[in-house]
Amino acid sequence: MATASLHPKSLSPFLTNPLSFPSPHFSKLSFLHPPHHSHCTKRPNLLHAQQAINNKKKNPWLDPFDDGEDPEMEYGSLFTDGKQDEDPRPPENPDNPYGFLKFPAGFTVEIASLGQKIRGDVRRCCCVVSGGVYENLLFFPAIQLIKDRYPGVQVDIIASARGKQTYELNKNVRWANVYDPDDDFPEPAEYTDMVGLLKSRYYDMVLSTKLAGLGHAAFLFMTTARDRVSYVYPNVNAAGAGLLLSETFTPDSLNLSDGGYNMYHQMLDWLGRPFRSVPRQVVPPLRVSISRKLKEVVEAKYKNAGAEKGRYIVIHGIESDSKASMQSRGDTDSLLPIEVWDEIAEAVRGFRPVFVIPHEKVREDVEEVVGNDASIVFVTTPGQLAALINDSAGVIATNTAAIQLANAREKPSIALFGSEEKGKLFVPNAEEKKCVIVSSKTGKLIDIDIEAVKRAIQIFDVSLALA
Amino acid sequence: MSEAVMGFTIIKPHIHSFIHTTKLEANSCSRLPRQCSSTGLFNGWQQLEGRKSKRSSICKANALPDWPLMAVLVEHMDGQRDLITHKFVWHLSDQAIKNVYAFYIIFTCWGCLFFSAMKDPFYDSEQYRGDGGDGTGNWVYEKQDDIEESSRAELWREELIEEIEQKVGGLRELEEAGKKEELIK
Repeated sequence: MATASLHPKSLSPFLTNPLSFPSPHFSKLSFLHPPHHSHCTKRPNLLHAQQAINNKKKNPWLDPFDDGEDPEMEYGSLFTDGKQDEDPRPPENPDNPYGFLKFPAGFTVEIASLGQKIRGDVRRCCCVVSGGVYENLLFFPAIQLIKDRYPGVQVDIIASARGKQTYELNKNVRWANVYDPDDDFPEPAEYTDMVGLLKSRYYDMVLSTKLAGLGHAAFLFMTTARDRVSYVYPNVNAAGAGLLLSETFTPDSLNLSDGGYNMYHQMLDWLGRPFRSVPRQVVPPLRVSISRKLKEVVEAKYKNAGAEKGRYIVIHGIESDSKASMQSRGDTDSLLPIEVWDEIAEAVRGFRPVFVIPHEKVREDVEEVVGNDASIVFVTTPGQLAALINDSAGVIATNTAAIQLANAREKPSIALFGSEEKGKLFVPNAEEKKCVIVSSKTGKLIDIDIEAVKRAIQIFDVSLALA
Repeated sequence: MSEAVMGFTIIKPHIHSFIHTTKLEANSCSRLPRQCSSTGLFNGWQQLEGRKSKRSSICKANALPDWPLMAVLVEHMDGQRDLITHKFVWHLSDQAIKNVYAFYIIFTCWGCLFFSAMKDPFYDSEQYRGDGGDGTGNWVYEKQDDIEESSRAELWREELIEEIEQKVGGLRELEEAGKKEELIK
């Protein structure tokens, strides 16, 4: 037990009494493996959070007859250990003499669902992602983690109309549906329609990043998924939500996006938890994939604006009241007026600055300040922005989705932040990501030191020399 | 039909012989059952037995076998000009009236739906024709989600192919490097 107490235990009931396992299983248990330990020491904040989860006492109202794991329970060899298989269902056999039996001979449907009961397999997973483009983009590692942890899982997304556009960049998602989880008073018809839709898809796991109160918890409960996992309000509004959810996370503040890049760390921590012989799943970095069609469309766009592939620098974060500004909710002060951008763009040597405007009405302002020969590309969707960044030499942006996209495509970037703390939150390990963070001294983005930005622009010259 | 004939035969005597004796009244009344029983067999001209001084004849034209349209009654009295009474009868039974109205209503409703649908721009719109379907209007598909899903699946395959190509390329490089080493040795 000493070993177990040293390590963060998962909430999984199977690990609450590890010594009761028969010895073959015990030898396979993951917490004896050193990699897991080193992983935890590397990320102290996660360790801390996990301990907080462990200290959370079990809710006796959830199941009054749940006395924990049965110590005398013996598991066989089938479906007890390891990850699930990629696809448990072999391809259909058209030569099957039994006709209506679509599955091939020898495939045992009777025990096909055992994995879901014994091992906790997840075949269909639904993620309800709150927030806009930025929040959805930062959820990509979670989706990849789910894919890695549960091979063959089908991941569906419920997001707001803006957030849904992000999933153009994600190859791991099956369906993406529009339903704004942040809307406190949805249309009754939409609400019931979505409940029916989710219920009829028979999900095994529903994840939600909206802070759930009783209402949202009821919504998740009605999907009848086995695992209903959600963030809950860190205050009294969470009352009653825990009864309807099977796992809850309490964020540090009311705004989940305040957490920056690791805003979903509690959920990621729970998703990647070790289970029997499966070690802790490492959180993958943010990656986006861009389809060929998207690249072609965007190439036509920037060529039209007078830029060449690999010879321009994307400038994103022009102040406007457009909804397509792709800011994070955790950092509202993250747009700069075009005059400031003009000064910065003048310092760019050897590359053509391409101004990304979120709305056509901004085009006039940009032309007025920068001049009529400025390269202006009108982009509203994150997919097009990613394709634009992918073909660029680098990115200069404030704290918008452009910075994360540049990091995801491993492009050199300069990030302008209102304060240093924000910079560390939103772009951790900036050096590894070829990202230079320039932050304002006063805490307001408008007071940013333009000379520092101009000095930082030299990283693009370095990349030019390398290329 | 019998009522029509009875109307002729009963009312007419009343009009023309109000001042006749009560005997006549009784007489005409007593004639009733006979009239009724015989009317079912009428077709074409028929002689009505009246009193000596008065003879009358009735002519009926049928539109359909059971559907009298018009009747002409000619009364002849001695010493007077003939009295000719036309009566148009437009008689339908309750059932027939019901049928007519039912047909009218059904046709109107169907006609509103059918002929209005012929001009409805919705059925020529992108919303209706665009998402597939066969134009019969029995289903309107939501194809957008399917398109997005398949494009993501294609994205996944593209990435997979890229990865495989990279791995194969790496292996080839390794092999070539090995061959070179062998050659050098």
